[in-house]
Amino acid sequence: MQILLIEDDGRVADYVGAGLREAGHIVTHAGDGKAGLIQATAEQYDLIILDRMLPQVDGLTILQTIRATGDATPVLLLSALGDTDERVKGLRAGGDDYLAKPFVLSELVARAEALGRRAPGLAEQAVMRIADLEIDLLGRIVRRGGQRIELTSREFRILDYLARHAGRVVTRSMLLEHVWDYHFDPQTNVVDQHVSRLRQKIERGGAIPLIETVRGAGYRMRTGA
Amino acid sequence: MRLLASFSFRLALLYAALFTLSVSILLALFYWISIRRPIEQVEAGLIAESARFETLYREHGGQALVETLERRAELPAPRQAYHALIAPNGTVLATNLPSWPPEPSLRWLRIEADIYRDGEEYDHEALVLDRRLADGARLMVGRDVQDIDDLDEGIRVGALWLMPVMALLVIAGGGLMSRAIGRRIDAVGTTARRVMAGDLSERIPVRGSGDDIDRLGETLNAMLERIETSVESVRRVSDSVAHELRTPLTRLQAELNALNAASPERRTALIESAAEEAERLARMFDAVLRISRIEAQRHQPEMRRVDIAALLEDAADYHAPQAEERGLALDTRIQSGLEIVGDRDLLFQAVSNLLDNAIKFTPPGGRVALSAIRAEDGIALRIADTGPGIPAEHREKVVERFFRAPAAETVQGFGLGLSLVAAVAKLHGSTLRFSDAGPGLAVDWTLPARSG
Repeated sequence: MQILLIEDDGRVADYVGAGLREAGHIVTHAGDGKAGLIQATAEQYDLIILDRMLPQVDGLTILQTIRATGDATPVLLLSALGDTDERVKGLRAGGDDYLAKPFVLSELVARAEALGRRAPGLAEQAVMRIADLEIDLLGRIVRRGGQRIELTSREFRILDYLARHAGRVVTRSMLLEHVWDYHFDPQTNVVDQHVSRLRQKIERGGAIPLIETVRGAGYRMRTGA
Repeated sequence: MRLLASFSFRLALLYAALFTLSVSILLALFYWISIRRPIEQVEAGLIAESARFETLYREHGGQALVETLERRAELPAPRQAYHALIAPNGTVLATNLPSWPPEPSLRWLRIEADIYRDGEEYDHEALVLDRRLADGARLMVGRDVQDIDDLDEGIRVGALWLMPVMALLVIAGGGLMSRAIGRRIDAVGTTARRVMAGDLSERIPVRGSGDDIDRLGETLNAMLERIETSVESVRRVSDSVAHELRTPLTRLQAELNALNAASPERRTALIESAAEEAERLARMFDAVLRISRIEAQRHQPEMRRVDIAALLEDAADYHAPQAEERGLALDTRIQSGLEIVGDRDLLFQAVSNLLDNAIKFTPPGGRVALSAIRAEDGIALRIADTGPGIPAEHREKVVERFFRAPAAETVQGFGLGLSLVAAVAKLHGSTLRFSDAGPGLAVDWTLPARSG
């Protein structure tokens, strides 16, 4: 992906840039809001990573300017202000996702890839197929090797989300936000237990594992065959 | 000028001005009632008499008027009548006045008409209307106004005496008032300076009289109380943060120091552990900041209609595997269709924290119950467990940041969970109540149906 990183803190920019490049993306860095805005309008990017607090031109202003020109490039906001009301402000201004500093690099990469325009993953279909797993979105029916698997609605939603992002890392907080649809900071991360229940059901009887755990990051659903 | 800048001095000046003005108005009123009005009445009477005499003179001639005037002078009246009629040629036809100005003045005159009786001289003053009649004759009619003049004199002398007395009163009264107010204002100032110097326990002396300055003092004292508590809590929080930082930072430092000498596999483990430690620290700071922001109402809550029943079901669903893993039964009894106005994410966070605590503290085989019913004053939420509970003496303290009950030592956590719940509860205009569920802990939280 072509990613534009607008971040004034040099060290954070280096760290984030290196992480994204390592994941195979091309990163352009802009050190302040003005340069970032010029870059964003001059070129087409697959994703813009934008720091919320920038000298000169504030991140939210840049975001609003980009959106005002009709540019719908996905924007991931970074901010030291981690509170939910700040998050809501960022999303209202046209952001697509919001990540509070400090963050773990894998979280940023996972979110960036989930947002990116040319991201792979399964297209919207009524039935998603991964190996011998079949997910019928309309009927909410899951089959593995033709065998029907009973899932709770929460388990179904976890599976749905993982499948939609197949091949990419999905972090625990992404699951929390999208499957539970609450933005909160869990005292105990119970997501692992939910995923392991789901795993037990769809990998019963020694079927090949489809959901792999990515150390220090989250989960990844295998793609296709 | 410093003196002019002093509020109490300006107040004293104002007092003096008001006092002087009031006395002057009173004097003027008194003067008008006892002097001006009687004089005006006499004048009106004289104008009427003079007009009547003029008619008489015109219709019946000088002799008729002379007779009338002389009769009038002899008639007993409260005010002695005076007159003078002078023919056009200068002949005095009739008079009982001792003298008058040679030229007709055609206006009001004051003529001395002293009376001698039994060898004593009595001052008498006549108010006289001096007119010229149609044929050139001069007619003066008057009445005795000595009594009014005496009163006038009295008032003037009185007023003259009153001046210095008034000045004295003004100075003394103003001074006393200014000092009394000044002293009480100074008391506030002294307290404020002591507080500024660092003694937050200082309070403004209050007399208990309930007057304005007393009430001001009470308000300021309440403010000081509030500031003292919050400064105290900030101090406690920052002490706790500093204290809580030591252990993870020490661990972090140790892990980083060990990196150099470590084997490759050990290195990976150390780096991972250090990163985890750093993340934990970041989360702790986040939590502290969040609580402070919510408490200080700097968090702008997203207040909207929240289906609290669905939210509670979601929270229970989220924690279900956690409870199961610990071998606990997680029971829910949630009335459907419960709605409140609130911040959805914060409410979920709070309920999740409460459930998390209940699950962590309840020994295996126990039970955690979450219930919500519509109550008279809102929605009554209750989370009860069969854990060790909180001893009564700690119930007040559990919502303090970093407070961890002795029983919590084996359970991981920062001691921030309940502080956040309390802050969220307060934001929604509600409070938490901890009680004994016999056995276990019960947390009661009544959410007003409409809050914020």
